Parts: sequence; C-alpha cells; structure tokens
Amino acid sequence: MRILISCVLLVILSLGLVFALEQAPFGSNQIDNADKPGRFYLNQGMEKTGAANVVTSVVVTYRGFDTLGEVTILFIAAIGLGAVFHSRKKVKRYEKEKQSASLILQTGCRFLFPLIVLFGTYVFIHGHLSPGGGFQGGVIIASAFLLLFLGCEEKKIPMKSMNTVESLAGIIFVGIGLAGLYWGESFLENFLPRGMDYMLLSGGVIPIIYIAIGFKVGAELAGIVAGLIERNP
Amino acid sequence: MHIAGMIAIGIGVLFLFLGSFGIVRLPDVYNRLQAGTKCTTFGCLFAVLGVGIVEPAWFWKALLVSLFVLLTNPISNHALGRAAKKSGVPLWDGSVVDKSRDFPSYANTEKL
Repeated sequence: MRILISCVLLVILSLGLVFALEQAPFGSNQIDNADKPGRFYLNQGMEKTGAANVVTSVVVTYRGFDTLGEVTILFIAAIGLGAVFHSRKKVKRYEKEKQSASLILQTGCRFLFPLIVLFGTYVFIHGHLSPGGGFQGGVIIASAFLLLFLGCEEKKIPMKSMNTVESLAGIIFVGIGLAGLYWGESFLENFLPRGMDYMLLSGGVIPIIYIAIGFKVGAELAGIVAGLIERNP
Repeated sequence: MHIAGMIAIGIGVLFLFLGSFGIVRLPDVYNRLQAGTKCTTFGCLFAVLGVGIVEPAWFWKALLVSLFVLLTNPISNHALGRAAKKSGVPLWDGSVVDKSRDFPSYANTEKL
C-alpha cells in the first residue's frame, strides 16, 4: 500500500516537473524573453562596463554598493566568531585525543593544496569573463585551507598575516570606490581605461575589485575555519 | 560523436542514480560510503567526459575536471571512513570481514 502511494506521488511529482519545465525556454535566446530591466542589462551591460559576464557587471558596478555591504556582513560575522572564540582561555584537554591524519590524506593535501589555490585564483581573476567571481574563488581558496587544517597539521597558518591581507583587501575595495568618487562622478565608478573586450585586462576596475573580494573572502573564511578548529569542542 | 557523448552522459547518470539509491538502501556508514564514492566517482567521470565529447572545445577542461574528481573523491571518502572507524561507528551486523582488526592503531576503537 505504501509503495503504491509513493509510486503515485512520484508519478504526480514528475508530471508536475515536466509540465513546469516545459514552459522554460531552454536553449533559446534569453534576451528576447527577458523583461524590460533584464533586457537593458543584457544589452547594455557589456557596452557600459566592459565585463563579458553580465552577472559580474551587475554585481560589481550596478549594485557595487550592495556588494560592499555583503563583504561587510561577512567581515562582521568573522569578527563576531572571533570574539566568541577568543573570550575564553585556550582549552587544552582535547589535545591528547587528537590523532594525526593518515598518509593518504597528508599526501593528498600536500599535492592538492597548491592546485586548489590556483583554481580559486583562476576563478576570481577571470570573474569578469567567465562564470565565477570573488566570492566563489574566495570560498574555493578557503576550502584549500580547510584541507590544510585537516591534512597537514604540522603546517601552521600565520593568522596574523591572514588578518592583514583581509584588512588590506577591504581597504582596497573602499579605496577604489572613493577613487571613483574623486576621478569620476559616483562611488565605485569605473575610472580606469576599459581595455579590450573579452581580454583579461578589461573592464577597468572590475577585476581589481574582484581580486580584492577574492582575497578578503578567502582570508575571512579561512579565519572562521581556523577559529572553529582551534576551539575543537 | 554527439551520440557517443550522449551515451557516456547516460552511463554517468545511471551510475549516479545507482549511487544515490545505494545511499538510501545500504545498511551502515561504510557501505553507504562505498555507494556514495565509487558510484559518484565513476558517474561524474562519465558525465563530465561525455560533456567533453559532445563539445570538443571543452574536452581538455573536462579531462582536467575528471582528473580532479578522480583525485579528490577517494581521498575524502578515505578520510570519512577512517574518521567513522576511529570514532567507533559500529559495522553492520551482517558484515563478514573487518580487516581493521589486524592493525594496532584501530585496536581501542571497538568498544566505544
């Protein structure tokens, strides 16, 4: 009986999915189907900002102020976590139960760590050309540091310099915004030359901002992971 | 070329489906890890390589992605299984072999 009911439910669900997805225009030109603001960004975004990735042109230029807010939220979250974890004395009683990682994990960590960092760097440097960007690349770099925490415990990560990198990246972001206010007309305005479209050096300040965001997010999330592991509850 | 790529993607999807089925149906952590790793590694490999065959311009990227899946997936599975064994997760009652008893570093994890 239960099997019958579940089969009927599955059939209903799959029919619903089929009918819902039938309406979606897969593979067709999305510009014609977009509504008016969407069409504006798809048509004009590339010309105005020089970023081949429309999502990036929206995230970094059209609503760059909002992105600054997002980065600030992450920063405040990291600070809050640090405040919670540093308010007590370092707990030592879990030290003796800790066991070192196996040979497979250590070797894999040593081999994969530079490659993952390279991939994360690629993702945020090409944020204005291909899918991806500062947040995604930063998270990939933070996952590399998580692997380092798991696999190579003898390698100490210098948290002081991580914090310095994070603060510097935030200062660069705000500084570029203020420079846009000084040389241009508004906060975060593109004051650098556009460069050639579809090349790595294009889009003016967009790649610089995304590189700063990538460093900031990566350092912040790695710091959060380090704080959680240090507590080791 | 297109048909060959589609067949490869189909094989990959079939294995991914079998892996998810195994995660639901198998009895304990270790068996589920097996389903969740072997099937997803093989399925991802075929799906990604199939995409590379359908779109020849993406072939080398697809090859790189599949290499990384081949490297990372077994390592994560190994780490998960080892952590489960070390923290004393019991084997299924019907298990017939437990090779970890031969190794002294796993000796004191039985009674937890």
